Amino acid sequence: MTRRLLLLGSAFLLIALGLAWGLEARHPEPVALTPSLTGYVEYCITCHADLPVISPSHPVETFGCVLCHGGERLALEADLAHSSMRGGGNPSALDVVEESCGGETCHGGTADDERDHIQRVQTSIQVTYTGAITSLRYTFGAQPDLLPFYGVSAVTDTSLPSHTGILQLLAFDPAMESSPALQAFGQNCLTCHIGGLPAAGEQYQRLSGCVACHSPASGEQQVHTLTTSLSYTQCNACHNRGNYDLRSMTFVERSDQAQTRLQEYYQPIAQFTRCEYTLDCVDCHTRTEAMGDGDLHASKADSQYIQCQTCHGTPSALPLTRTLSDPDDIAFRLAFLTPVVDLQLGDTILITEQGEPLWNTLVLPDGTYQLVGKATRQFFSFRPVLGSDCTQTGLDQSSASCHACHAMDR
Amino acid sequence: MDRLSRRDFLKLLRQVLLALSAALGLGMLARFFSRQEATSRPTEFDLGPASAYPVGSRTILPEVPAVLLHTPEGFTALSLVCTHLGCTLEENQDGFNCPCHGSRFGEDGSLRGGPATRGLDTLRLEQKDDRLLLYTD
Repeated sequence: MTRRLLLLGSAFLLIALGLAWGLEARHPEPVALTPSLTGYVEYCITCHADLPVISPSHPVETFGCVLCHGGERLALEADLAHSSMRGGGNPSALDVVEESCGGETCHGGTADDERDHIQRVQTSIQVTYTGAITSLRYTFGAQPDLLPFYGVSAVTDTSLPSHTGILQLLAFDPAMESSPALQAFGQNCLTCHIGGLPAAGEQYQRLSGCVACHSPASGEQQVHTLTTSLSYTQCNACHNRGNYDLRSMTFVERSDQAQTRLQEYYQPIAQFTRCEYTLDCVDCHTRTEAMGDGDLHASKADSQYIQCQTCHGTPSALPLTRTLSDPDDIAFRLAFLTPVVDLQLGDTILITEQGEPLWNTLVLPDGTYQLVGKATRQFFSFRPVLGSDCTQTGLDQSSASCHACHAMDR
Repeated sequence: MDRLSRRDFLKLLRQVLLALSAALGLGMLARFFSRQEATSRPTEFDLGPASAYPVGSRTILPEVPAVLLHTPEGFTALSLVCTHLGCTLEENQDGFNCPCHGSRFGEDGSLRGGPATRGLDTLRLEQKDDRLLLYTD
């Protein structure tokens, strides 16, 4: 009996070892990478060697994969290797971005060294969605004025002093609203902020977190690329895709089929000037407008401040400029990250009313200006309003004022 | 030849199974140990004879990466790993710059511009039998 058990045990042992060997042999031979920043071996490129380097600022031999993505660095089995990845395949998802992209030397630094990207984004209108929530609550009688109280999530301004006086926003809870319209708004529309996943449906497709803007892809299509050369099409992934029906609280996709960039840029009833459809959005709008300036704002209108006069000036004043004399000027850093111009000390560039450098512009010796498209690398030249035939007073700088004379026929 | 008894056959079979299991187990162990973490980066570099680097020379050592300076005061080796996040620096006309985030360093390793907050690290050098040895640890 004992001998028979020993024989059976030997057979089982052999079968078990054989199965284990077979399973083990199915794994690929590991390819090791030791990123200089971590010093820890990781085997991710065993399967992912074909992925492009995500950006020139994040070379894989320096950063590796795990520092940003998480995951089990020595696992060769896909499910195990991916089991602890941050944000699934998207480490820039805002609920994990601090862990993935933060840190004082990366994107979680201080406002003083202009590395507080994560903090600024978390308080930006693109994340809080405050303007929409406030205006809808005001419209449907839930609050008597347009003072901002709610965001998609609760958020506190930690970068004091606050220039807007808005120190915190509470989390908007549609269940607490008595208006059916506001309840429907909460149910249908809160996905329209870059912190959340988009609603189901092709018309809503976009990415979430940092890559909502900084990936050249959108929707379900994903590419392993980050960019600061944002084409207008990237902005259009959220903006300009349709309208919101306040009666049904639903999104109505554009029905027109844009054939040209001119049509694609704006919806049919909108007016625009040449530069508005020739340039990309980021050629004029600044990073603080899009990514936030660290303060909580009441609405998009409250945080966007670039106007025509920012670049063109008024009939009585030239636009603001700055001659670059400090090699540590933020303009050089921005130009380095989006290398479409070769800025030099001594160059004079346009700046915004808040002092932000429009680093892709240049004041030319003849008094005209040059702008290089951040995505297209196209050169554009333009003139100041001062000295032109323009008869506007310069007091009204809404786009309608300029559209009155400069709107393009469609 | 004597006919193998049933008992001997079973004994032989058991021994064969155990031997095969042992071989398989040893093979798996060998495979496991062959997969230990790749050897870490070298921390010692033999730069060859010191006489190969005349006074006034400035030699880029890409395999380290570092730059070896030979001044009248002696040899100095500066790491060409950016002190910000560890990218390998590139040489330019008046020093080094980081291709990742734009930090700038002078020829002597001094910090010229961020985001790095300190100059380049000096690496340990030793001279043995006229050979220069460089250590990165």
